[in-house]
Amino acid sequence: MEKKLLKKDKLSGIVKKLAAEKTVYAPVKDEDNVLFKILEPGMEPLTSFANTKNAPKKVFFPHSELLMKYTRSPKGMVFAAMPADAEEFVLFGARPCDARSVALLDMLFDQEKWKDPYYIEKRKKGTVISLACVHPPYSTCFCTSVDGSPTSTQGADLMLTDLGENYLVEFLTPKGEALAPWFGEATAADAAAEAKKQAIAEQSAAEIKKKIPGRAIKPILDVSFEHPFWDTIAGKCLACGTCTYVCPTCHCFDISDEIKGDDGARIRNWDSCMFPLFTKETSGHNPRTSQKQRWRQRLMHKFKYYVDNFDAIACVGCGRCVMSCPVNIDIRKIVEDISKL
Amino acid sequence: MQKPLQQIVAENPYVPMPVEVIKIITEVDSKDIKTFRLAFVNKEDEERFKYIPGQFAELSLFGKGESPIGIASSPTQKGYIEFTVQKAGVVTSALHEMEEGTLMGVRGPLGNSWPIEFLEGKNIVIVGGGFAFTTLRSLINYMIFEENRKRFGKITVVYGARSPGLLLYKDELEAWGKRGDIDLNVTVDKGDSTWKGREGFVPTVCKEVAPSKENAVTVICGPPIMIRFTLPVFFDLGFSKENIITSLEMRMKCGIGKCGRCNVGSKYVCKDGPVFSLAELDKLTKEY
Repeated sequence: MEKKLLKKDKLSGIVKKLAAEKTVYAPVKDEDNVLFKILEPGMEPLTSFANTKNAPKKVFFPHSELLMKYTRSPKGMVFAAMPADAEEFVLFGARPCDARSVALLDMLFDQEKWKDPYYIEKRKKGTVISLACVHPPYSTCFCTSVDGSPTSTQGADLMLTDLGENYLVEFLTPKGEALAPWFGEATAADAAAEAKKQAIAEQSAAEIKKKIPGRAIKPILDVSFEHPFWDTIAGKCLACGTCTYVCPTCHCFDISDEIKGDDGARIRNWDSCMFPLFTKETSGHNPRTSQKQRWRQRLMHKFKYYVDNFDAIACVGCGRCVMSCPVNIDIRKIVEDISKL
Repeated sequence: MQKPLQQIVAENPYVPMPVEVIKIITEVDSKDIKTFRLAFVNKEDEERFKYIPGQFAELSLFGKGESPIGIASSPTQKGYIEFTVQKAGVVTSALHEMEEGTLMGVRGPLGNSWPIEFLEGKNIVIVGGGFAFTTLRSLINYMIFEENRKRFGKITVVYGARSPGLLLYKDELEAWGKRGDIDLNVTVDKGDSTWKGREGFVPTVCKEVAPSKENAVTVICGPPIMIRFTLPVFFDLGFSKENIITSLEMRMKCGIGKCGRCNVGSKYVCKDGPVFSLAELDKLTKEY
């Protein structure tokens, strides 16, 4: 794995040059927010920011995605066409937590038995450039409690760490190495740079004071499905679904059909386990009729079911749900409370 | 350049195989349950759609959506697949409006199946109620198929409906009744003037038939109320939870364990089920 040093003022230019050749999703300023957007000419990619309002999962798993088109024939509606294959693109500026979320989604969408071709196609075509957190950006950050770290390389193809005057550029995968020509101005990294990065990694992780027992609650969850504790967590939940929409690892979706004249499209849209209709059957029966059950599902899916199925917690500790919840439900508090059951 | 549809279908589990509705049978007096016989438009798809009784498929109506339905035919029946569908929601209502000759789609086969290898060499007790008899019918036709029959021991069937007009597959029931190798017990909650058969609820009939637990497995499917009162009968007969097999239903979309709505605990009904033994269900949460 090659490592290089790049003068900090060169980075923005490199990203813009990349954007001239292929689609680049980058963090950009949008009113009060920083959002991942396709970098158009004249737009400035941010290299110094806390984190984006939205998670970058949308570049691999869009809000709304065409699955296939169909058309009317004399004998009924028939298949017409697939969406065009994805083109090569770069996701620039993902924080390590968000890059990790992609590795977690791979476990589900790229399973041995059932593969999701839409997601996998975009994963093949997309290169992830992450920006290590030299200082954890928010008091709500808790990546170190869920198997991550502010300098984790998991899910990234190339990671940049701000060493002061230079970025340490780590080419992590063949896809990352393929970007080496764009980093032609970078020079070889020496042992001092490597040591500095190591020190930053340790100090940044130490700055995250909030620790929750992300792994330790698993055996408790194994036996707590019927615990009265669940009655207490959803009382103020509005079932708005915001937590699931901002979450980098939430991946539940709905499939629906849209038709106009003789042509139609089957699409999938993000869905949310927080919504009552999510599990409601045609008969009217609904296995999860209360917000308590839906909250239990969300928590269990992240801290038990995903661990059962993939030995991974489906939470990267980005803190977006904590910041976005309109009624201040804090998943860290819930995990702590469970650990005391 | 677009790939041929057969290739897309082979690579993409979301794209349905095109099928033609070649026969529609109205099963019940109330006319809201019909059996749809579907033939694959592409021969390769028929080869690809290798299924085992107990599996299901997503019936796909472009413009309406998809509905997960158990496969009612047996893989021993070649050239077509069958689904018995109750008219209920958007997709199934549209399906009920369709005519023979219409093109639609099928995605599958999906899910696990009745545990055929486990059932082999054993006496099989089939218990079905009402409309939930479809994948049991698949299993029965599979087991009584000439080449398969000797792989299974005694076959006992208890099948009940509310009234004679609500029994499914009437012609087959008659044919099975004439065979010497099935102990067939068809019952209705309440008969009518022409009904000469048995009257009584499924749990009661199971008690009367009293199948032996020796080397036996019960496969049971029906409305929750029937299951609730029938299970104690089999517990009293000494059947273990490992030897009582059933099938779950949940709302589904993708059918391949991705979309996240049909889980019961860590298991997805679409992918890890729909078939579970009672012993397996005991290990899962009771949220279904």
